[in-house]
Amino acid sequence: FYHRALNPLILSLKKAPPSMVSTEQRQHAEHVFLSFRKSKSPFAICKHILETSKVDYVLFQAATAIMEAVVREWILLEKTSIESLRAFLLTYVLQRPNLQKYVREQILLAVAVIVKRGSLDKSINCKSILLEVGQLISSLSPTVPPVLYALLTYSLYCSLTHEDGLRQIFMMTMEVLQEFSRRENLNAQMSSVFQRYLALANHVLSWNFLVVLLPLLLFLLLFMLLLALTGGDSLGRHYIAMFEATQNVTLKPTESWREALLDTRVMDLFFTVHRKIREDSDMAQDSLQCLAQLASMHGPVFPDENAQISYLAHLMEGLLSMINGIEIEDSEAVGISNIISNLITMFPRSILTALPSDLFTSFINCLTLLTCSFGRSAALEEVLDKDDMVYMEAYDKLLESWLTLVQDEEHFPRGCFVQPAIQVFNSYIQCHLAAPDGTRNLSVNGISSHDEEEINELQEDDRELFSDQLSSIGMLGRVAADHCIPLLTSLLEDRVTRLHGQLQRTQQHLMASSDLGSVDRKVLDDLYEDIHWLILVSGYLLADDPQGETPLIPSEVMEFSIKHSTEVDINTTLQILGSPGEKASSIPGCNRTDSVIRLLSAVLRTSEVESRATRANLTELLSPQMGKDIVWFLRRWAKTYLLVDEKLYGQISIPLSTAFGADTEGAQWIVGYLLEKVINNLTVWSSEAELAYDTVELLVTLVEKRERANIVVQCESWWNLAKQFASRSPPLHLLSSSVQRTLMKALVLGGFAQMDSDAKQQYWAEVLHPLQQRFLNLINQENFAQISQEEAVKQEIVATLEALCGIAEATQIDNVASLFSFLMDFLSSCIGLMEVYSNTPETINLIIEVFVEVAHKQICYLGETKSMKLYEACLTLLQVYSKNNQSRKRSDATAEEDQYQDLLLIMELLTNLLSKEFIDFSDTDDVFRNQDQGTPASNRTVSAADVVLYGVNIVLPLMSQDLLKFPSLCNQYYKLITFICEIFPEKIPQLPEDLFKSLMFSLELGMTSMSSEISQLCLEALSPLAEQCAKNQEKDSPLFIATRHFLKLVFDMLVLQKHNTEMTVAAGEALYTLVCLHQAEYSELVETLLSSQRDAIIYQRLADAFNKLTASSTPPTMDRKQKVAFLKSLEEFVANVGGLLCVK
Amino acid sequence: MADPDLDFQTGESGASATYPMQCSALRKNGYVVLKGRPCKIVEMSTSKTGKHGHAKVNLVGIDIFTNKKYEDMCPSTHNMDVPSIKRIDYQLVNINENYMSLMSDNGDIREDLRVPDNEVGKEIESKFEAGEEFMVSLVSGSYLNEFSYILYLSAPT
Repeated sequence: FYHRALNPLILSLKKAPPSMVSTEQRQHAEHVFLSFRKSKSPFAICKHILETSKVDYVLFQAATAIMEAVVREWILLEKTSIESLRAFLLTYVLQRPNLQKYVREQILLAVAVIVKRGSLDKSINCKSILLEVGQLISSLSPTVPPVLYALLTYSLYCSLTHEDGLRQIFMMTMEVLQEFSRRENLNAQMSSVFQRYLALANHVLSWNFLVVLLPLLLFLLLFMLLLALTGGDSLGRHYIAMFEATQNVTLKPTESWREALLDTRVMDLFFTVHRKIREDSDMAQDSLQCLAQLASMHGPVFPDENAQISYLAHLMEGLLSMINGIEIEDSEAVGISNIISNLITMFPRSILTALPSDLFTSFINCLTLLTCSFGRSAALEEVLDKDDMVYMEAYDKLLESWLTLVQDEEHFPRGCFVQPAIQVFNSYIQCHLAAPDGTRNLSVNGISSHDEEEINELQEDDRELFSDQLSSIGMLGRVAADHCIPLLTSLLEDRVTRLHGQLQRTQQHLMASSDLGSVDRKVLDDLYEDIHWLILVSGYLLADDPQGETPLIPSEVMEFSIKHSTEVDINTTLQILGSPGEKASSIPGCNRTDSVIRLLSAVLRTSEVESRATRANLTELLSPQMGKDIVWFLRRWAKTYLLVDEKLYGQISIPLSTAFGADTEGAQWIVGYLLEKVINNLTVWSSEAELAYDTVELLVTLVEKRERANIVVQCESWWNLAKQFASRSPPLHLLSSSVQRTLMKALVLGGFAQMDSDAKQQYWAEVLHPLQQRFLNLINQENFAQISQEEAVKQEIVATLEALCGIAEATQIDNVASLFSFLMDFLSSCIGLMEVYSNTPETINLIIEVFVEVAHKQICYLGETKSMKLYEACLTLLQVYSKNNQSRKRSDATAEEDQYQDLLLIMELLTNLLSKEFIDFSDTDDVFRNQDQGTPASNRTVSAADVVLYGVNIVLPLMSQDLLKFPSLCNQYYKLITFICEIFPEKIPQLPEDLFKSLMFSLELGMTSMSSEISQLCLEALSPLAEQCAKNQEKDSPLFIATRHFLKLVFDMLVLQKHNTEMTVAAGEALYTLVCLHQAEYSELVETLLSSQRDAIIYQRLADAFNKLTASSTPPTMDRKQKVAFLKSLEEFVANVGGLLCVK
Repeated sequence: MADPDLDFQTGESGASATYPMQCSALRKNGYVVLKGRPCKIVEMSTSKTGKHGHAKVNLVGIDIFTNKKYEDMCPSTHNMDVPSIKRIDYQLVNINENYMSLMSDNGDIREDLRVPDNEVGKEIESKFEAGEEFMVSLVSGSYLNEFSYILYLSAPT
């Protein structure tokens, strides 16, 4: 039939130019081809078409049909016929070098698919394929047609499942490369062939020997190489990117590779090859990547340490002679840095130190020069604003390598990194300072560029953007502390003095002209940028910022301070520290100070110049960026150095402990100074949200540790700040809401410092009570309902709610008792506000957010009675929310995601409440022991499950399918319902009918029409539900019926539909529990499926497959071992049956 | 008159029509005068010129009376005018020759407002005819001797 249908079509297509073919004709043709491709066993006709037809499009379709059919009917086909089909296709391509590219590609793809499918059941004979290819290669001429290359890649692919084969390919490639590298002049064609071999060698070396059997990777590799044949179009590049993302692996060959890879000629060859082709940027990338792979070699291929040492030595020698003999091309930078980074990361320190010391020294020197040079080129790239920052990438890589080396410093000869560290550090500083000391913004010809670009709020701060670079530079600075700390100090002192002078001059200028526009900002901006980088580097050098743990003073810095402590005059040091208003050099004896303290003093001096400028009304001339840098540094410094705890260190520097230790005047003075700084900043910089936020974070750091807080609360200015904030008087009320929130958090944290009870009482009376009082006064006013919508009233309410969030954020295990009680009083009033502000969504959201924060921060500490109080409050909130929502109109069509913020928050609240089931630090109200005599547990009225289910009751009807299109809502929703099924499966059958139905519908929807992540979540929810049913034994409960429906869904999903392989496990687990529950229905499903098969062979194969599937688990019981066995046979089952049932 | 500020007959703006506020202290969903029009702020973002520049606030607002969109940019330290906006909820008691009888929470009745000739007006009429209970919210602001109000419906409290 098809033959007859196709022939006229082919004829007409052949005769008519494409433009003459009508749309109808084309549609008809497409339709014919489409059904042709679905027909059963089209092999004979396809072969016939391939042999007779001259129309490329038809050939393409025939190849596609073969490819699809062979997979579909795999288990029906005899192995020999598959083999002959493969051979046919291969010979076909070989004999027709003039095929259209896309046809050839499709045929090779068909071959690839056959091999891929064969690798699953090991039915392809790699040896014979290798033999075939080997013969072809022996007849290789210099003018290899590209198709031979395809063959090579194909055989490479086959041999990948077979390591010996891989090695043979590698050896053959090496021979070809050798041959080419001997030739003097390559013509274009030969060089293109050469390039392909090089790429091939690269792929062999990049192959991860451990995942050799991963079919996905194999497939990608093959497909990518096939596409490379077409000249690497965009599709090809796309696949290459995919491939590279999965392949970033190191070379770990087995012992059998020893002879091949330890042969020094192999490595030499790659160096030779690279030298030959390095001007061609594409090829250079491949050859350098090969070398980088060789530099990562490790594992059993090395018989012993000596082999490893001589291998590394040879590699280094080759590398050094390569680098030293050339001027590096842009396209080589990344490749070379990869080689270096690989060898530093992969070779053990003992091997590096066992190298001849001359060699190691030259390597380090070379690395130093290279790092400095890449750094300079990277700076140039920034000035030119290049899209492709190759030097920046290379520089990052090398700095990372330095970090690796320096962190293991103790393995290397003492001090061997000091000089290199100085050079790299100096060059970094130089690149970041303005002329004449530095080269910042200088382009090649020495002209400086200075443009003022618009920067939006989303741009990351340099301290985050360059944190990796800064960490490395900071680490190198520590290694060469003797040089770097004094250097930073003198540079910073110099810049600050200049800044001070410049500001003074500007002030005088302004007094004369009072026109800010006439001020030349160039000089100031250059100084700000210098100071910016100097402070960032100083911060990274002096301290780390580990998350969660107490940061320690870096040992290098400590040792440096100790080493010089005998030459230091402590009094002068303290004098300079305590006089940020003075120039350090103006203080007598300033040469005999502790350098670590002196660097801090330089930053404090910067801070003082800034503060004084604000007092002189020069704020507009200042840089908010510098302001951020200062408080960022002070925060990082304070965490590590302030009240330094001697017990944490083996050795302590006397200057440091005298200046910053506990109970020292120095520490008290600094706390006072920092506090003044914070207050000044919050006053002056309310208009700079980020600076204000960094400032308030410094304040949190000062009070979050009890010891520091104890000093803070002794300062009068702290109390003033607290009073000022509580009275909501200017200028603090101008701060952004997140700053106000964090300020409240800090004020609350401070309240738990050590104070006598009078002071404490007074403190809370100043901080928290006004909040409560003002709030109560306001909402208890008779006419509150009327005035509630006035802007001033609304602002007061919003400020209170923000403050409550801040208070909740201040929760710590030792203050949760009092904070919980305080907040609980508010929560019920907040619920009242829900009514009043039902028409102002932003206020409603804020109210819910208070609950979210309280639940988030406190529930894990609450014992049973307290939890219940919170549950009750949440329940009431939900009830009011639900009531208000019924009448609330949501404009649907145009709605944006943030209009559903309330729903998102409600779901977050419910999830937070549920989290107590996972994380619970409470010890039967232990933290409340003193105030809570405890209601007996039997009086328990509301449980987490009640609240959550009630909440779900509200949320579910609102979660329309349209809303699920918003990713954040969708994720939160499914997270919530899966949680519920897993934690309270016993509550599900008790749900009201409607709710139960929509929950089940949600699960079904999530399983069938959402992303695979969501679908997986839903599948995971099914097992606990099925287990719940098994426990209950109620055969006609709605849940029992629902699970029966899910059995069919999951069954269809696994057996009949194409699905994501990642999901096989989740679906398999669900299927197994469901099968246990509904054995009869399962058998029925299988029977129905089988009986619909008319073909006897298919019937038999299917029946066998099903028998095999359940063989290890009959009768199925909910037993882990059986389940595992089932999952194992399922994988095989899916591979065998998957395509079979799609046959028409 | 229940509320002297809401005297629509004269439309005198008086001195309290606007008050200044530092630009950085404005909030989304709040009000501001943009290009001479009282607006509700629907978008707010900041930017700066050069790394060491000061923050500027970019504002997008919707004219509360005409629904027209306005944009403006202003250094974050500068003050901007904020219009005095009032909102009062009334219960609709009756409609008489197109004039509404509105009762405020404290029982005062005003009858000086027409049913507006727009969608909201139609909804007010149809709900009233259907005997549904609902509130009429009156938002008013005056600026540059111009006064106006908008009405919208809300659920009974």
